[in-house]
Amino acid sequence: MTKTFTRNDLIRYIYNETTENEKKEIERELLLDNKLFEEYKDLAEVSMELDRFEMIPSEKVINKILNFSKTINLHSVR
Amino acid sequence: MNRNEVSDKKLVSAYIKGNEEAFELLVERHKNRVFTTINLIVRDNYLAEDLLQETFIKAIKTIKSGRYNEEGKFLPWILRIAHNLAIDYFRRDKRYPTMVLEDGSSVFNNLDFSEDSFESMQIQKDTHARLKQFIEELPLVQREVLVMRHYMNMSFKEIAEVSGVSINTALGRMRYALINLRKKITVNQSAYDKNFYPK
Repeated sequence: MTKTFTRNDLIRYIYNETTENEKKEIERELLLDNKLFEEYKDLAEVSMELDRFEMIPSEKVINKILNFSKTINLHSVR
Repeated sequence: MNRNEVSDKKLVSAYIKGNEEAFELLVERHKNRVFTTINLIVRDNYLAEDLLQETFIKAIKTIKSGRYNEEGKFLPWILRIAHNLAIDYFRRDKRYPTMVLEDGSSVFNNLDFSEDSFESMQIQKDTHARLKQFIEELPLVQREVLVMRHYMNMSFKEIAEVSGVSINTALGRMRYALINLRKKITVNQSAYDKNFYPK
């Protein structure tokens, strides 16, 4: 691992917030350092799982929101 | 034209002109993201639905009164409102909302999945239910960074600015959040696999 590389940089890499040069440097390091590669694989997997995760509100609350919108007009909101 | 092809900006413009269907599309498009953002912070389904309603009502009032000026950036704007309301709730009451039920049944019954088979749907549902629980168990600072990065699409620079910490601190919190989640998933994976794939 190079002196300038930190574990936080790996996080920036996972979230696509590195420059092209940093990206190349990290990818080079990932090929050389098995431990680092394992960490990358584990954390990237969790990150992808989080991206797939979402919660859905009830129809009841959505209807309340839509009904509120319909009952309010431009002139009454100031 | 495909409903999904219409931009948020056009939908907001149509809504300003009185098109309620445009607003319905906006709500349909973003409700899950906004709800997830709130729910992962407050950790209470009922409260999250109240705050979701409050968020959209605030947005409706702002747009209908002509004070909306975030053209083309509807989602980041409404997510900011949602996030602020969720955090304000904490500050106002100075308490952590409690998980609703220990068995999680009523907490997770709002999860919905697009998988076809019952089995895959059940597995997916269970995975998401556990993930939700694991996220909720994270310390607030880690959970907040996770929510801002994943569900509010904020950069670490923006997160650092909003949170009043350095970028390295924000990155460190994200890293520990992922590490903690990974540990929790790994610990539970074995028992989970045995339940679903008995030998």
